[in-house]
Amino acid sequence: MKATLEVINQMQADGVIGSYATGGAVDATFYLEPVATLDIYIFVSFQKAGSLLTVSPIYNYLTARGHRAEKEYIIIGNWPVQFLPPANALVEEVLAQAVATQIENVPTRVMTAEHLTAIALQTGRAKDFSRILQFVESGTLDVNKLDQILARHGLLAKWEEFGHKFLKGNS
Amino acid sequence: MSDWMRKILESKREMRRRLASLPFADKVKLLEQLRDRSRAIAASPLKRQSAHQG
Repeated sequence: MKATLEVINQMQADGVIGSYATGGAVDATFYLEPVATLDIYIFVSFQKAGSLLTVSPIYNYLTARGHRAEKEYIIIGNWPVQFLPPANALVEEVLAQAVATQIENVPTRVMTAEHLTAIALQTGRAKDFSRILQFVESGTLDVNKLDQILARHGLLAKWEEFGHKFLKGNS
Repeated sequence: MSDWMRKILESKREMRRRLASLPFADKVKLLEQLRDRSRAIAASPLKRQSAHQG
C-alpha cells in the first residue's frame, strides 16, 4: 500500500491529477476494523480534456512508468487501482473535504465516514448497504453531518428507505 | 436468544471494536494480509472447481 500511495502522490506532484481520496474498503478500514478487499478505489480530480472527463492521462502516465493496465484497473505496487473521476457533486465535495492522514509516513487522504456512507448509499449495492450497517453499528457517524450531506445531495428519501429496510427496530 | 449466543455476539463486537481502534497503518497491514488470503482462495483449484460446478 505504501508503494502504491507513493506513486499516486508523485503523479499528483507531477500535475497529472489534482486532489484525491481513497474510497471503498481501504477508506472504511480507516474508521472500522480491517475489511477484506482485492482492489483500491481512488476518487480523483483532474482537468477535463475539452468537455470530456477521461482517465487517459492517468493511464498514459502510469503505463509509461511500467505499471500494467488490467481491465478497469492499473496495477501499482501489487495493488489493482481503479481511478474514479468526480462523476457528481457528492464526489466533488468528498474530494474537497477529505481528511489528511499517513500510512507508514506516506501522506494520503481518506474521505470522511459520513461521505463514505453517502457514497455507499448512492451506489446502492448489497456490499455498500452492508458497509453502511457497519458504520451505523460502530457509532462513528456524526448524524447531523450525515443528515446535511444527504440533504444537500438529494439522498434523504433513499436513506429513509434504507432505514425502513435495514434499521427498523434497531436501537 | 440463548446466553451462549449472546456471549458469542458480544465477543465478536468486542473483537471488532479492538481491531477498529488500532492505528491506521496497522489496520492496513491486516488488510493486506486479508487480501493475500482472498487471492490464495480465489486461485485455489478447489474454488475454481466449485465455481465451475455452480
